[in-house]
Amino acid sequence: MSTTLKSRWADDNDDDPEVEAQRKHEKEKKKLAKATKQRKLEVKDSAQEQQQQEDENTFNGEAERPAKRRRLSEDAGMPVEAEPKRAICLRFPAPEWGPCRHVDNFEKLNHIEEGSYGWVSRAKDIVTGEIVALKKLKMENSPDGFPVTGLREIQMLMEARHHNIVHLREVVVGDKMDDVYLVMDFLEHDLKTLLDEMREPFLPSEIKTLLLQILSATEFLHSHWILHRDMKTSNLLMNNRGEIKLADFGMARYYGDPPPKLTQLVVTLWYRSPELLLGSEKYGPEIDIFAVTGPPTQQTWPSFRSLPNARSLRLPPSSKSASVTGPVLLPRSKFPYLTNAGLALMSVLLALNPASRPNVAECLKHPYFHEDPRPKPKEMFPTFPSKARLERRRRRETPEAPKHGAEAPQLDFADVFSAPLEGDTGEVGAGFTLRLG
Amino acid sequence: MAPIQGLDSLSNALATLAQLSTSSSSLDGVPTDLEASVRFAGSLLTQAAGVLLRLPQEVIAQAVVIFTRFWIGPEGGSLAIYSAKDISAASVYLTAKLSFQPTSPRSVLNVYSFLLSKEASPLWFVNPNGPGVQPAPETYYLSEGTYQSERLVLLRMEATILRTLGFQIRVIIPHTIALTYLQTMNATSPALAKRIFEHLSAALLSPQLLYVTHQPNALAVAAIYLGAREEGVKLADGEWWKVFDVDREELGFLVVAMRSMNGFAMAEKDKWKTQPIPLIADDVMEELEKKRASDGD
Repeated sequence: MSTTLKSRWADDNDDDPEVEAQRKHEKEKKKLAKATKQRKLEVKDSAQEQQQQEDENTFNGEAERPAKRRRLSEDAGMPVEAEPKRAICLRFPAPEWGPCRHVDNFEKLNHIEEGSYGWVSRAKDIVTGEIVALKKLKMENSPDGFPVTGLREIQMLMEARHHNIVHLREVVVGDKMDDVYLVMDFLEHDLKTLLDEMREPFLPSEIKTLLLQILSATEFLHSHWILHRDMKTSNLLMNNRGEIKLADFGMARYYGDPPPKLTQLVVTLWYRSPELLLGSEKYGPEIDIFAVTGPPTQQTWPSFRSLPNARSLRLPPSSKSASVTGPVLLPRSKFPYLTNAGLALMSVLLALNPASRPNVAECLKHPYFHEDPRPKPKEMFPTFPSKARLERRRRRETPEAPKHGAEAPQLDFADVFSAPLEGDTGEVGAGFTLRLG
Repeated sequence: MAPIQGLDSLSNALATLAQLSTSSSSLDGVPTDLEASVRFAGSLLTQAAGVLLRLPQEVIAQAVVIFTRFWIGPEGGSLAIYSAKDISAASVYLTAKLSFQPTSPRSVLNVYSFLLSKEASPLWFVNPNGPGVQPAPETYYLSEGTYQSERLVLLRMEATILRTLGFQIRVIIPHTIALTYLQTMNATSPALAKRIFEHLSAALLSPQLLYVTHQPNALAVAAIYLGAREEGVKLADGEWWKVFDVDREELGFLVVAMRSMNGFAMAEKDKWKTQPIPLIADDVMEELEKKRASDGD
């Protein structure tokens, strides 16, 4: 039954733009109609036709009610514009469910990495030949059944359909009850490995594009009441088309307003915000903001003394105890290449007081993204060899230019045309060598 | 046209036509009326367990919907293989785990051993004679050995539910949507809201599987329409339900279905006056044998 309903809605939706256009057209006509009475009558005629059409579409033969309604509006002497508008019911997405497929539908290609959450490998869909990432959930020693983190991860990835969040295609299972795999889109890089291996850092324009994508994913999550709680470079995947996708929702969970009591032990230590370090049990989306990028004082963060672990914290005597006004900036000298707007954004993102950290929408509007250099289009991004795809940077040794004033080396051309020496790292043909004599 | 983005938080996964026309139980020879009775009793059991576990109605309703989803379709669970009571317990445990109020396997199993006790259970479909004045504690006590074995069953059933539903366990409940709609129409009154909640909670038990065939907004609108009728509250003029994306036909169907709930429940109670509704796979098979024997006579 649901499918018939769906298809009818689908039909309704199919002529959506047409209807929209018609309605606009009608409205304009009506405005003119006010001026001349004769035109008004014409419009009424056309409106009646429209109405009848609608009746046929939606009611299938219940023509009486709309007729009555029209008479009422005329009796009341209402302007034609007040006529009830064509109602189009939205079609709600109605996903289906079915049993999980078996993991044998995928062929494992190579191992990518292992984390606390599971094992990730590159695999190929046997039917379609598509390359995917397979993540096997770690299930051992879970006395409470299916680990709640894995459940949350699956649920949130199913819900979070966003182009900067890794796409969960399906969940497949193995023979044992404990074998559960997430099938996700394969991306060539994770940002951490990439940053480690890159020869030159990203350009400012590239950084802006990446940051905008990360912020856009974060905004989407927070607007869906999801806290990621483990934002860091190794959880940001990147492909060779300049797209970045947020992954690993093993720590993520839903939150509410007012925030529920949550565990403090989240976010990898380096990226953990100070309120978590200091034992706050109620926190909000600010912790993710902190992670997207000196000790606190009473001026910069008024309520921090009330947090549980703050009591044991000894602060070095502050050299400048004068009252701080305005936003506190990070030391300029540490970031010589950052523009003023960039420094300002970074300072507020890393603000110690969670209340003074901006929300994502504010970040996205920050002038940093509007000043030159502009964010680089994704299509213009350079590509890199993918470690997950077992690609290596081609290293070709090239001789250096001779140094000025150095003595010319003694060259011996005697055995240039003889057979190469054993262990020579010259070019070797693939597979076999031909031995002569 | 692709469905509009951003409506995920208002919509549920629905059963397909194929899933509604055949069920795994019917393939195993369980007649439709028996299946409906067991599903009804299982939903009631889930609801009762949720109340004893002090779970919010939102979580209980989600558990009932997951319980309902499990039996649907030729690839769903079969009453001849899985016991309704086990699936009910696992649904409650699983839903509570994902909610803000998780509960322990021990609490769940304690509650179920009380509710399923032949002497102490207050449920009419388990204990048709009603509990005695003071049932002996031994009749509903969960021993350590039983607990350990039941716990393994609970966790296995949890994994089974997840596999059968392909991890599609997110359920949006219409209760809050109904309240929002009421506020939109400026028609909030405690009596009306209560009546609407009653209709929405009763619809969870519907043999017409309303929660897996209709989106929450439609359920909310139908409950508002019916509740306002019964409470004599005047709502907006005109076809206000269209504002909430429900068309007349769907509204009509749902209103009729919700109104028929009472009759269905009464008929079930009458039908199973003398014997309990089978909530264990073996009992279902036994019931089938009995039916076959009586048909043969």
